[in-house]
Order: sequence, then structure tokens, then C-alpha cells
Amino acid sequence: MAGATRPATVRERVADSDRSVGRLLLVAAGALFWGWLVVSWVNRWLGGVLVPVGDPLVPPGAVEATLAAIPGIAAYAADAAFVVELSPEIARGTWLTVVITAASLVVGFFIAVPLAVTRVYGRFSAWVSLAYTELLRGTPLLAQLFVLHYGLNLGSYVPDTLSGVFARNVVWVAIVGFTLNGAAYQAEYIRGAIESVEEGQITAGRAIGLSKLETIYYVVLPQGLRYAIPSWTNEFVYLIKYSSLAAFITVPELYYRADQIASETFRYTLIFIVTGVTYLALVLTASKLMERVESRVSIPGLGVDRER
Amino acid sequence: MAAGWTVALAAVESAAAGAPPIGGAPAIIGDAADWEFVFRNADYLGVGVLLTVGLTVASILLGFVVGFPAGAVEVYGGGYLKRAVNAAGVVLRGTPIVVILIVMYFVVGVPQINLGVVSISSAVTAGILGLGLRSAAYQSQIFRASLASVDAGQLEAGRSIGLSRLEAVRYVVVPQALRRSIPGFQNEFTIVLKDTSIVFAIGLAELLTRGYDLFSERTTAVLEVILFISAIYFVLTFTTNRALDYLGDYYAIPEGESA
Amino acid sequence: MSDDGFLRVADVSKWYGDEQVLHDVSFEMDRGDVTVLIGPSGSGKSTMLRCVNRLAEAQEGSILLDGEEVLSPDLDVNDLRREVGMVFQGFNLFAHLTAVGNVALGPRRVLGLSEAAARERAEAQLERVGLGDQFDSYPAELSGGQQQRVGIARALAMEPKLLLFDEPTSALDPELIGEVLEVMHGLVDEGMTMLVVTHEMSFAREVADEIVFLDDGRVVERGPPDQLFERPERERTGRFLERIASHD
Repeated sequence: MAGATRPATVRERVADSDRSVGRLLLVAAGALFWGWLVVSWVNRWLGGVLVPVGDPLVPPGAVEATLAAIPGIAAYAADAAFVVELSPEIARGTWLTVVITAASLVVGFFIAVPLAVTRVYGRFSAWVSLAYTELLRGTPLLAQLFVLHYGLNLGSYVPDTLSGVFARNVVWVAIVGFTLNGAAYQAEYIRGAIESVEEGQITAGRAIGLSKLETIYYVVLPQGLRYAIPSWTNEFVYLIKYSSLAAFITVPELYYRADQIASETFRYTLIFIVTGVTYLALVLTASKLMERVESRVSIPGLGVDRER
Repeated sequence: MAAGWTVALAAVESAAAGAPPIGGAPAIIGDAADWEFVFRNADYLGVGVLLTVGLTVASILLGFVVGFPAGAVEVYGGGYLKRAVNAAGVVLRGTPIVVILIVMYFVVGVPQINLGVVSISSAVTAGILGLGLRSAAYQSQIFRASLASVDAGQLEAGRSIGLSRLEAVRYVVVPQALRRSIPGFQNEFTIVLKDTSIVFAIGLAELLTRGYDLFSERTTAVLEVILFISAIYFVLTFTTNRALDYLGDYYAIPEGESA
Repeated sequence: MSDDGFLRVADVSKWYGDEQVLHDVSFEMDRGDVTVLIGPSGSGKSTMLRCVNRLAEAQEGSILLDGEEVLSPDLDVNDLRREVGMVFQGFNLFAHLTAVGNVALGPRRVLGLSEAAARERAEAQLERVGLGDQFDSYPAELSGGQQQRVGIARALAMEPKLLLFDEPTSALDPELIGEVLEVMHGLVDEGMTMLVVTHEMSFAREVADEIVFLDDGRVVERGPPDQLFERPERERTGRFLERIASHD
């Protein structure tokens, strides 16, 4: 409400500048996080052009020395150096987390749209779609991954052309698992959004001579998919977090790497806090990104301002 | 290779290092002897089901006890309390449940609780705390939305008949908001139920962990075991959903929206 | 009147489940005619209108449009609809498209015009309804009257041989009705064949070649406006017109 008008009181102005400082800090932290990630990845791909592969971007010793010189933070200098030391492994694991999430989300989307459309407009296919979504939403994701990995040993069926892409073929199994699971959830969100598109839109489409399928494609989906963005963002965030379950079918993503280092160094607290923060950064990036997308594609004149 | 892994990953990794999971093309229906193995161990899995259900109920309750006030603070509160609740929510909702569980187990290091008659292992306590607090973060959002959705005029009307602000919230807004939160709550309930499987990570012997133990023991029965426990999970989520549907209908305000 | 029988509606009946909503409705109109369907709400006027472009399915009777049987099961409804335009009570503009996008969608996707040609046609039609300055506005940014004019332009862009109006001004605030009626007047002057459901009696009187009064799914009376308004043959018609007049 008050966002549009000028802050009146001193207190509001202070709060306002507080918020903008907070926003600035958040953006700076985000830039630092993604800068670190991208530089680490590129360094690894190019065989260590900046620093040898496996080494942190900045020497831990230097970090420790610098921080030790600052009063107040000095006590944490050793911890900071340790975090810097394990940063290459974190970056490495995060790469797989990002890839698995992105691939599953995108492929899942293209399965989810037909699922949602058949659920709303189909007859027999509506039942197939319903059965699929209920089954996948009604069982734990971890159990589904176990079915694919231990039950069906899907990793042994990875075609040769895809086989070398990742260090372990089981990454493909994880992608398949998250895709199938995510498709069910995405379909549910998209279905809800499609159903919220007014009936008159379809009537109008049919009245100018579009077929039913054309009306869905040109009229219903462009609106429905826009309406789906907020809930779809939830699924995006869920997928980032649940991609950690891939560790339990031996996919060396972020959580797996963290667990590996923790068991070697016994520094559980620090490592899992860093891991948690890394996931949090990914999640916040995703939701900020989707907020951007939502406002970019919002239909002018239609109030799409979400609750804060 | 790693020296020692945190509980579950160690098992998973050694399974991977040893013989790969069953080879060849598994039959969809499975093997009769393997199904027999599953049913022979049904009581073992049954204890797992009890743990799963217990864990779910305890976590949901903890989530409610913490989440409802948190939601109220986000709507009616202000200042640092609101900020703190908000920040805690963002962290809990933005971190994978497996990380939360590990942190509870290893970092917070919840001790074993001895109640004299029964003792609750630290894994169970960590599981309930992790799942419960994470659920609280989500439940607070559900209650926040439903509290905010109750028309402001309701609060005013309550005040106009002489109720205090707290009383008006308690007797007028909350009863309406709780009804409206049933669909969101339903969703949350099934999420917690399914996510109890992730306490696998801290080696708590609920349904999925017991399933894992079973098929590790008899590797030919992998598919049979997982399908069997998946079916149990499905029945649990399905009946929970129907039960909450019924609850929603039962408490629906006549002629009003049940949502 | 040339009496070419451009649209012949004969004994059309329709049921919703057990309830019969149209009873043997019959009327004809020629090319260039304006026929107005009037009647109380729930009398079946809108349903009758929708049977003509098969948005509603009549179970019995015949509707011949330019000699072709509309109700034939072999007819491609999409072919029919590209020749019969429709303007809705609630506008039903495509919410995600601009004014031009709304009007161009049919020409682009149904008629297969190029992007540029479809846009050109859309702009021309928007000019025609007096919206030359609103090409890139979205429906939610337009007033009701402007939205309905976009709706008319959208129907016109298909170059229909028959235009159906389903209570085009009923959802509008009184001060916005005029601009829509003005556009419709213009179309009448251009010789457009129009079948109109409306409660705007003065408009009906002014432009209609024939008025069809429907009540309870039946044609009670039909005839030229002067006759129907001045000397209704049926008592029910008179009562309805009186009731409407007292509202104006």
C-alpha cells in the first residue's frame, strides 16, 4: 500500500533506507556467490587456468592472515580459511546440483504441460494423467529414486552417447527420477492455472474458428502458464532442495560432497552450515529470478501483484 | 575413498562399491520367492510404518504448535520479532530437509531422551525436531495467508461488540482462518508424511530405511521391497488426504466457501 | 427485400437434458438484413443465436446458411465459424493479447495470413471501430466500451458474411453503451448482415428489418419493428414491450 507513496515519517524513511541497504547487501552477496561459482567452474573446465584444479580461488592462508589482523573477526579466521579450503569441492558439487535441477525442471515442464492439458480437457487420457500425478505425488521421492536405481538399475541402460557426459551414469538416473516426479507436481500447478482461465476465452477462440487444440495453444496456455508462475516457482525451489536426495543413489552433488568432506574432517557444524547457506543462495536466486520473470511477462492492466 | 561417512551415505556408498544393484532385466511383477520374502518380513516393515506415522504426527503437531503463533506474528506482529520469525522461516524453507536433519543430528546433537518407560533415541528426536521445525516454517505461511484472508471488517465487528483485539482475533478471526487453512494443511501433512522417509539419512529405522535394510539383505528382492513400501506410502497419503477432505467438509461453514 | 433466404432457421428445437429450451423456432433473413431477437431473460434468444454458429448444438430442425445446412454433422464447425462472426456480452477478449493481437489472431491462425498482413488487417478493423489510438493496449487497460469495440473488430477481421451479437451492451455502464451502438449503426449502414440479441429497444426499432420476439423458447411473434412495437398481435408481446419501456 504505502510502497507507492512517499514515506512520510522519519521512522518510515529510516526503515526504507534499511530495506534498500538490505537489498544492496543481498545483491552484492548474490554477485559474489555466483561469481565464485562461475569462476570455479570455468577454472575446472579449462583445466586450471587460474589456479590448479582442486585449489581454492584464493589461498586459505592469505584469508586466514587477513582476517586474523581484523579485531573482532580474528577468532573466526581459522574457520574462514577452512571454508575457503573446501570451497572447490562445494563448487564442484553445486555444479551437479544446478545441472540436475535445471535439466529435470525443463524436461519435466514439457511432460507436465500435456499432462495438465489432458487432465483438464481429455476424457480417458484425463484418467491416465490423474493416475500418474497421484501415484508420483503419493509416494516419497526417495522411494522413487530407489526404484529407478536399486530396483530397475536404470544406470546400466544409459546409452553410450550419454554415458560419458557425467562422471557417474547414475546422474542420469537422478535426472530421470526428478523429471518424472517434478512433472507430476508441475502438472498439478499448471492444471490449477489452466482451470482458472475463464470459460469465455475458450468460447471466443472457438467462435473465430480456432480448433479446440488451437484454442488451448494460442489462448488458454499463454494465460494459464502466466498464472502458474508463482506456484511453479515453488516447484523450482522444491526441486533445488530435493535434488540433495540424489546423494543417496551416489550422485556426487552438493550434499554428497559436503557429507564426504564432513566424514573426512569431522567438522560437521561448519560444513553443513556452509552447505545449507549454499542451498539457500540457490533457492533465493531461483525465487528472485522467477519474480523477475513474472513481472516481465505479466499482462498489462491485470493486477498480478502478489502478496509480499 | 572416504574413511567414514555419515550414517546412511556410508551404507549407500558401500553398496555401490560392492556388487552393483541387481543386474539383468528385472521382471515387472517380480519373483514369487522374493514376494514371499517381502511378506515374511511384513511385520518388520510394519514397525517401520508405526514409526513413520508416529514421526509424521509428532512433526505435524510440533509444526502446528510453533507454526501457528509464527503465522500470527507475521500477520499481527511487528518489529524485531516479526523479522526474526521471517528470517527463520526463509532459512528453514530454503534449506533441504536432509541438511536440516543432519544439522539437528550432528550439530545440535540432541541427546537420547529417557522417559523411564520408553527412551527416545537421539535420531528420533532429531527427526521430529527437523521435520517439525521445517513444517512449522511452512505451516506459518499457511496460517499467515489464511489469517490475512479473513476480512478486516471481521476484526472491526469483533472490536465493536467490545472484544479486546486479542479476543477478537481469538474468537472471530482464528475460527474462520483455521477452516480456510485446511487445504494447505492437507498438502503439508502429505509432504511431512513423505519426507519422513528422508530420516533415512540419520539412520532412523522407519519404513523406507527398513525397506533398504531388507533389500540389502536379499538383493534379488529390491524391486519387490520398494514397490511394496511405495504402495504403503501411497495408501497412507491417500487415506490422509481423504480424511482431511472429510474434515474440511465437516467443518465447512454452511453455504460459505469450504476453502 | 430481395428474399434470397440467406439464413433460414426452421423448426429448431433444443434441450438441455430434459428441459426443452427452444421449441420449433423459425425465422428467415436476407443478405444485408438486420434481425433482432428480443424477449425476457431465459427466453432462449442467446441459445438460438449460439445454435447458428454451433457454439450450442440444436437437436432438431434446420439452419440453412447461404444454402448450406449448418446443423449437418459433416460440417466443419471451424469453417462455419470463420464465416460467422460473434460478439459476446462479456467481450471475452483474449486477456494476454493487445487490441491488435486480439483482432489479428483469427486472420493469422485461422485464415493463415502472414504476421504483417494479419497486423495490417487488424489495424484497419480497429480504425473502423474508432480505436486507431489503442492498437497496443491490453484488454485490462481499456474501458468496457473500448473492449467491446475491439470485440467487434475481432469479429469483423474474419470478413464474416454474418455477424452475431449476443447482448453486446448488457455488460456496459450506461454512458459507454452509445459508442458501441454507434459502431453497430455504422455496420448496418455498410450493409452488414446482422443477427442481434439485445435489450436496446430504440436501437432495434431504428435498424431492424425484422424483430423476432421469443418467450419460453418459442417465437411468439415476428414482424417489422413498426408493426411489432405499435400494433403487436399478441398480448404477451405487448406486455413485454410495456415492461421494457417502463424501465427506460
